[in-house]
Amino acid sequence: MIRLYHVSKSYGSTQVLHDVTFRLSKGEFAYLTGASGAGKSTLLKLLYGAEAPTSGKLLVGGVDASKLGPARLPLLRRNLGVIFQDFKLIPNRTVFDNVGLALEVIGAERREISRRVNAVLNVVGLGGKGERRPLDLSGGEQQRVAIARAIVNDPAVLLADEPTGNLDGAMAVEVMEILLSINLRGTTVLIATHDIGLMGRFPHRRLRLDAGRLSE
Amino acid sequence: MSATLGHILRRAARSLWENLSLNAVAAGVIAAALLLGGAFWGAMSTLSDAVEVWEKDVHLSAYFASGVDEERQRAVLAEVQAMPEVEAVTWVTASDARAYLEERVPDIQPILAELGGDAVPASLEITLRARYIGDETLADFVTRLQRAEFEELDYGKEWVERLTAFLGLLKALGAALGTLLVMAAVFLVGNTMHLVTYARRAELETMKLVGATLQFIAAPFLIEGAVQGLVGGLIAIGALSGLKTVLLGRVQELVPLGQTPLTTSALGLSTVVGLLAVGVLLGVVGCGSAVLRFWRQAP
Repeated sequence: MIRLYHVSKSYGSTQVLHDVTFRLSKGEFAYLTGASGAGKSTLLKLLYGAEAPTSGKLLVGGVDASKLGPARLPLLRRNLGVIFQDFKLIPNRTVFDNVGLALEVIGAERREISRRVNAVLNVVGLGGKGERRPLDLSGGEQQRVAIARAIVNDPAVLLADEPTGNLDGAMAVEVMEILLSINLRGTTVLIATHDIGLMGRFPHRRLRLDAGRLSE
Repeated sequence: MSATLGHILRRAARSLWENLSLNAVAAGVIAAALLLGGAFWGAMSTLSDAVEVWEKDVHLSAYFASGVDEERQRAVLAEVQAMPEVEAVTWVTASDARAYLEERVPDIQPILAELGGDAVPASLEITLRARYIGDETLADFVTRLQRAEFEELDYGKEWVERLTAFLGLLKALGAALGTLLVMAAVFLVGNTMHLVTYARRAELETMKLVGATLQFIAAPFLIEGAVQGLVGGLIAIGALSGLKTVLLGRVQELVPLGQTPLTTSALGLSTVVGLLAVGVLLGVVGCGSAVLRFWRQAP
């Protein structure tokens, strides 16, 4: 589902990723670990097309993300769910609107949007909070809104950047359980995290980045 | 498709309402640009119409030399009347001309008395048929009109020609100024819309990250731009109509322009439609450029 061949990324003279090669199969669950600044977020950005690799090849769901032009980028992103570290929720829109956005951009009917958004809000434990604004919610609830938006269109691949980074222990476990349940439905999940305790509690494959170099 | 269209329209309406002040500024900028451009174009158009009327209304004054008696003047009158180019001729005798001058300028009487009886010459006031008013035919007519009996031939064509040349220069300057105005307006509207996109960058960035296409993001902005352009155009039309009424009325009072149709063509239907179309174009191009700039910068 995800394949990287000798991918490198530099910003000017600073090389952030060095010759990264790995493969994630369909339905696999993996952690991308490493210290802050190791290149985890950069690798995720390459996967959802926010950055282009300096060299190497990168396939996501069979699409060569390294060669996507601006016009085809939306097609890649519609097949991905991304949970951003800073949530990227729209503060002046309701929870319902924030989650429904992923469906609106693909031209879904309002009735269909309503049905799927309400269903997914129940999955993440936010049923009945659709009319609230993100800033009226706790950090954990905002995280769950971000998860709901990422999974509402049943993506083949879910990428999460430090999804538990802002949460306390109990809330982090809740979020992990949601992500695992999504994985059980066949979605490939890649989570960037440096939370060793969480990885110990929910053991899965680990891809370790150390100063931009990948090891397992 | 209909769901997308409905979403686009809803988002455009919501954005117009939520960013009312910024949209009002953008509409104001468009209105100012159209007002400036429209005022200039209106003035040029009015002047051009006036010149066209004056060109078609060429009169010649042929002044008799002193010593040509009235019998001879009457004979020349008959010759001129027989010329095919002539629509009408009025014979103004020396005494008629003197009386007219004394009536119009009472203070001139002592001067005329001192200059004696030949001070004001008799003349023929000639009106040409419309089809003979072209430059070459007029020159040919003037050549054939020349006679020993005439001391001077005077016609307003020269200053009309000079005015036309000046108008041509003014039009060229106007085209340059208009281009600058349009560019400035696009720049200002673009920057105003850049502020709108900046204020909503979080929303737009998120939309792009979850798979929105450029068209999906841009469409509501283009509708906003069109609405801003329409509002700006309507404001400019209102202001120009007011200006036309006030200024042209004053001009008519100050300058005796006779039957020149100063008030008929400055703000006709085509002008109104043109102003609205340019306004919409400015709004759409300004908003489009702002969204494009955002799209290129956003991750």
